[in-house]
Amino acid sequence: MWPFDASIESLWLALYLASFALHAVFVSYVAAGTAYALVAALRRRADPIAARARDWLPFMLGAGITAGVGPLLFLQLLHQRRFYTANLLLGPRWGAVVPALIVGFYALYLAKASERWRRLALAVGVACFGFVAWSWTEIHLVMQDDAAWQAMYGAGARFYLDAAVLPRLAVWLGAMLALFATVGAWQAAPVERRRLAVLALAGLLVAGGSAAGIAFRGGFDPVHGWAYLLAAAAIAAALGWLMTARRPGGPGLAVATAATIAALVAGAIVREAPRLELVERARTTAAGAGGLPVFVATLAIGIAAITWVIRTVRAR
Amino acid sequence: MSPLDSTIPYYPVNDFGPLMKGLVIGGVGIVHVFLAQFAIGGGMLMLYLERLGQRGRQDARSFVDGYFRVLVLVSFVVGALTGVAMWFTTIQVGARTIGLMLDEFHWLWATEWVWFAVEITAGYAFYRCGPQLGDRARVRLLALYALASWMSLFWINGILSWQLTPGRWLDGGGVWAGFFNASFWPSLLFRTAVSTTLAALAACIVINTMDLPRDRKAALIRRASWFAAPIAAMPLLALWFVAVLPADSRSWLLGGSMAMTMFVGVAAGASLLVGGYVVVGLLLQRLYINGATATLLLGLAFGATAAGEFVREGARKPYTVRGVLYSTSIRPDEVAALRAGGATARDPYPLKESYPTEQLARGARVFRTLCDACHTMSGANALAELTRTWTDDQLRLNIAKLQRTKGFMPPFAGNAEDVEALVQLLRWEHAGRPAVAPSLSAAASPETLAQIARWLDEAGTAPAGAAR
Repeated sequence: MWPFDASIESLWLALYLASFALHAVFVSYVAAGTAYALVAALRRRADPIAARARDWLPFMLGAGITAGVGPLLFLQLLHQRRFYTANLLLGPRWGAVVPALIVGFYALYLAKASERWRRLALAVGVACFGFVAWSWTEIHLVMQDDAAWQAMYGAGARFYLDAAVLPRLAVWLGAMLALFATVGAWQAAPVERRRLAVLALAGLLVAGGSAAGIAFRGGFDPVHGWAYLLAAAAIAAALGWLMTARRPGGPGLAVATAATIAALVAGAIVREAPRLELVERARTTAAGAGGLPVFVATLAIGIAAITWVIRTVRAR
Repeated sequence: MSPLDSTIPYYPVNDFGPLMKGLVIGGVGIVHVFLAQFAIGGGMLMLYLERLGQRGRQDARSFVDGYFRVLVLVSFVVGALTGVAMWFTTIQVGARTIGLMLDEFHWLWATEWVWFAVEITAGYAFYRCGPQLGDRARVRLLALYALASWMSLFWINGILSWQLTPGRWLDGGGVWAGFFNASFWPSLLFRTAVSTTLAALAACIVINTMDLPRDRKAALIRRASWFAAPIAAMPLLALWFVAVLPADSRSWLLGGSMAMTMFVGVAAGASLLVGGYVVVGLLLQRLYINGATATLLLGLAFGATAAGEFVREGARKPYTVRGVLYSTSIRPDEVAALRAGGATARDPYPLKESYPTEQLARGARVFRTLCDACHTMSGANALAELTRTWTDDQLRLNIAKLQRTKGFMPPFAGNAEDVEALVQLLRWEHAGRPAVAPSLSAAASPETLAQIARWLDEAGTAPAGAAR
């Protein structure tokens, strides 16, 4: 099935996409959850969704960073020269994502622990995570624009101020709202889900509108039908959220969640499609590298161990 | 030419001002290694003290919950993120090196990632829910956390030690021959001993912050101190490590390179001070250690870790992966082609500065390609200062016969024009970068170039030492 075949690059691609989708869930919760908690703090009203988000945000960021190592690893197999070149072109400006994440991490702990510093801490968190999201959007585009590399380097430009950055970032910010709402809704009591449904619908609207704008400007590519699946899943998710808004305890949330997962998978493939033809042919060393059986066995053990941990803490 | 066309990858080179790149990667790496090893030892220590707590020593249990908070706030945040920083910094310093490591070991790196995910999950579960869990669940969670964090070390250690002693991997022995290389076990055991020692010292600091009478703190410290006991084995493990190093690397550490020998001395001296206090003071005389002393010892341990990591990095010279890739990111089998075609002929990136002559511009490109990985022009390990007193011919000879000038330098991977361009660039730097380039004695005359070419031929394209 497109884009997968029997090659080693396909296996790396599948692992890249799976780990990227998992990473996206966690970091979406962090970015959108921090923004939500900030708005709630500024409004100075008790908000159980915001309180729960504050409680979970440090864990979600830790999980997001951990899950992010996977796609970072497989990306370097698929697009090694492009990824390294983009890293080097953006240079220390790109490296600033690490201190930004450290500051953001501690800001989340501070927001959780101190009511006095909460608004400032959350504002710092939003700024840090916004910077990271913007930086990833930028580097994704720099990787593909090899025609611009030499001029960027010669000019010492550390910013990639292309018109494509903002619409792409808007797609992500909208999707992040929807993903945060999906996870948040399962944590919330039925009565709290209406607000999350509105948030998810707003997110889908922003993401859909921005994606439509990109497709209109750049020419629509059905990506072997995945773009249609993405659109259908997004519409199904919107319908699920509308059902949830009308009857918060009903099956709407399950529909919205299933559709969001489908949209996430399809979205990851649609996002990857433009650079599939840029995937480097497996280098001899990489193609012949041993250790796959050990990884598969460890992955099975790891999933079992993580499942056991979750069951243990839920049973307390 | 497109940057993607060349068979030898040319990457954009970044300048870190007065900092040489080794300092940049070293700075990030040392913090990361220190925190990661603290987390590994911390897991084992907490498992031990939790078991004690469940056998009736309530203070041990209170300690576990307090210590874990420190571990999460320090190690899970800065420790984990400096790990990400290591990826990014390594790309800045040696993109081709990290690319090669990843190509060869990506499945083992992915295996390490799974253990890291288990470690973080178990750790956060204990942090959030530990106080509400039953005894059995607490012990199992801590055991899983300790195992996963040590497994993380196990996998990474194999990849890092392969860089220094790839051994049978060089003969096509495959990934396991590379992973279980000669320095794998001494390095793993050494790092494990360091981990437990760091955890014990950090525990002594945390215990001193607990609201307990002194005798109960002393009892806890005595228990925790046993975790520092493996430091007694470190001299033997260090000797084992040095013994398996290639002969030339060993010679740099043992007097061949005074800077490296001094780092060995700092690592050994600081470890001896920490070890002496632990063995004599804490274990034999059962002294009470206050927070200030424990902090001082932990600072010394940080110094030892820093010096030790510099030794490990330095011992690889002139390679980043022994026998496979030089610190210039050039493979040994590519040197001959670069001698013929020139070091920068296929470099697609422009210079950021302008130079008075074409030759100086070429020299700047040569510097960027062949020198910048380990030298700056006028900051740390400054090439301009190292060569300031050399005569013109001495410059030409020493650069052309680079691997003979100093055994830990790679062979010069360019032609006679590249050598001469670099010589002229250095002289221009020595003269204070004048607007008009100075005229050198016999600069770039056919005779000069012919002499340089003869020196390059005499030096050959092989490194000074054997590949293993």
